[in-house]
Amino acid sequence: MFKSLVYKEWIKTRWFLLILTLLGLLAVGNVFLKLQHNITFNEANKYWYMILFQNIIFYKSLKFVPLVIGVLIAIVQYVPEITNKRMKLTFHLPINENKILMMMLAYGTIMLLLCYILLFLLYIGLGNTMLPKEIMQASLSSIFPWFMAGFAAYFLGALITLEVIWKYRIAYFLAASAFILFYFESGLSGSYALINGKLVILTLLLSISLTFSAYRFRKGEM
Amino acid sequence: MNNVIECKNLTHYYGKKLVYENLNFSVKEGSILGLLGKNGAGKTTTINILHGFLQPREGECLIYGENTQSLTPETKSRIGFLIEGHVQYAFMDIHQIEKFYSGFYPRWNNKPYWELMSKLKVGPRQKISTMSCGQRSQVALGLILAQEPDLLILDDFSMGLDPGYRRLFIDYLRTYAKEENKTIFATSHIVQDMERLIDDVLIMDYNRVLAHGPIDDFMKNFKQFNFKIGQTDRDLRKEEFVVNLEVAKDEVELYTYESEAFVLDFLKKNNIPIKNFTSVPMGLEDAFIGLTGKY
Repeated sequence: MFKSLVYKEWIKTRWFLLILTLLGLLAVGNVFLKLQHNITFNEANKYWYMILFQNIIFYKSLKFVPLVIGVLIAIVQYVPEITNKRMKLTFHLPINENKILMMMLAYGTIMLLLCYILLFLLYIGLGNTMLPKEIMQASLSSIFPWFMAGFAAYFLGALITLEVIWKYRIAYFLAASAFILFYFESGLSGSYALINGKLVILTLLLSISLTFSAYRFRKGEM
Repeated sequence: MNNVIECKNLTHYYGKKLVYENLNFSVKEGSILGLLGKNGAGKTTTINILHGFLQPREGECLIYGENTQSLTPETKSRIGFLIEGHVQYAFMDIHQIEKFYSGFYPRWNNKPYWELMSKLKVGPRQKISTMSCGQRSQVALGLILAQEPDLLILDDFSMGLDPGYRRLFIDYLRTYAKEENKTIFATSHIVQDMERLIDDVLIMDYNRVLAHGPIDDFMKNFKQFNFKIGQTDRDLRKEEFVVNLEVAKDEVELYTYESEAFVLDFLKKNNIPIKNFTSVPMGLEDAFIGLTGKY
């Protein structure tokens, strides 16, 4: 059953996953193209100094990339489910309704994780050839919340998409927007280093919010 | 025979608007029940309750003895569900969707599905979203048949279908249900379609059930008499035996469960002047309109 469900989710998302991952990789590549340009024109030592002491955030163009990918994957995966109330078909499958939603969410999370891992690997691979280890580590801890924001946006995007009543949808959207800002408080190197662990737990807790929309759907709040 | 569906004391409101109160009905194993009603009479509400997509204010529906609000996966696998408008996963093609569903149902038998697909003029990789309504209806029906369910719940199955596809759908379904001893609960806006399909009828009007039982009994017992009426002070609508009365000038259509002799005797005893009294044979659609009124 899990295989069949993955098959359906894959059909819905495969092209978008591919395109969004490629765009994400291009965005990472662009960061390091610019970095290489700046190192070439400013001398490496001088530019590293600027990164460390003058708060130059060389990776800031990546800020909203994971967020946009998370939101778009949620839309691509869940909008076809609410179109013509197809969620009824999904809930009629012979699996517990919460279990099936969690399986769909697990698929999206894993796909997002794979996409983000590729972006991270490219980031680390290119970064290690141009930057000292300390700068790389600090920058990684700073971009980490942005990727967590991508997961949070995916979970909240799924909740908002599956909600059937527009006024609730708007209320969820406003609350989610305010919440997501928490992941973007600061882009400075190392600023999130101490709370990244807690951020992971908080983000994972968001994943169960989807069951609330499902509960409302099944009680006939449509 | 066991009851496959049993709904007891169902009461539901949308806000303060009462849909129905204390609705009771059951569907026997191996029978085909048609739920008929005007728009807003509660057909879709009943279907949603049966699927567990709506919690009634009071009462409960049981399918195979389980409350529909908490059906187990095993019971859900015994129920084939056709959503109004033949909704399916339109982003798939006919091969993908068959492959998808086959993973969920242990009794999956793709023979009837491909039999129906062979009648459609669609490309092997054509998305369901690009198919006509009639073609989509055959995909949806084929998938349900391949599931080999014991109970089929069909919500407005004839919606959007042209007469040919409707006939194909109904004939295929009835033959299949009778050969395989399947139980069907169906609703349709097109009442004459039901006549070819169902064994039992449940006719609902706003807030109440107007008729429930074998369709043959209903069609035999429910009658229409037309006549011209002369001057009288007597209001026939108030008579207990009159189910419905439609009057246009002096032309009267009287609907009743009583016999021709009873009606004629009543009119004679009460000195109600009539002319051209005729008993009118009815189809299910005529009987439905006769029972529920024209508006």
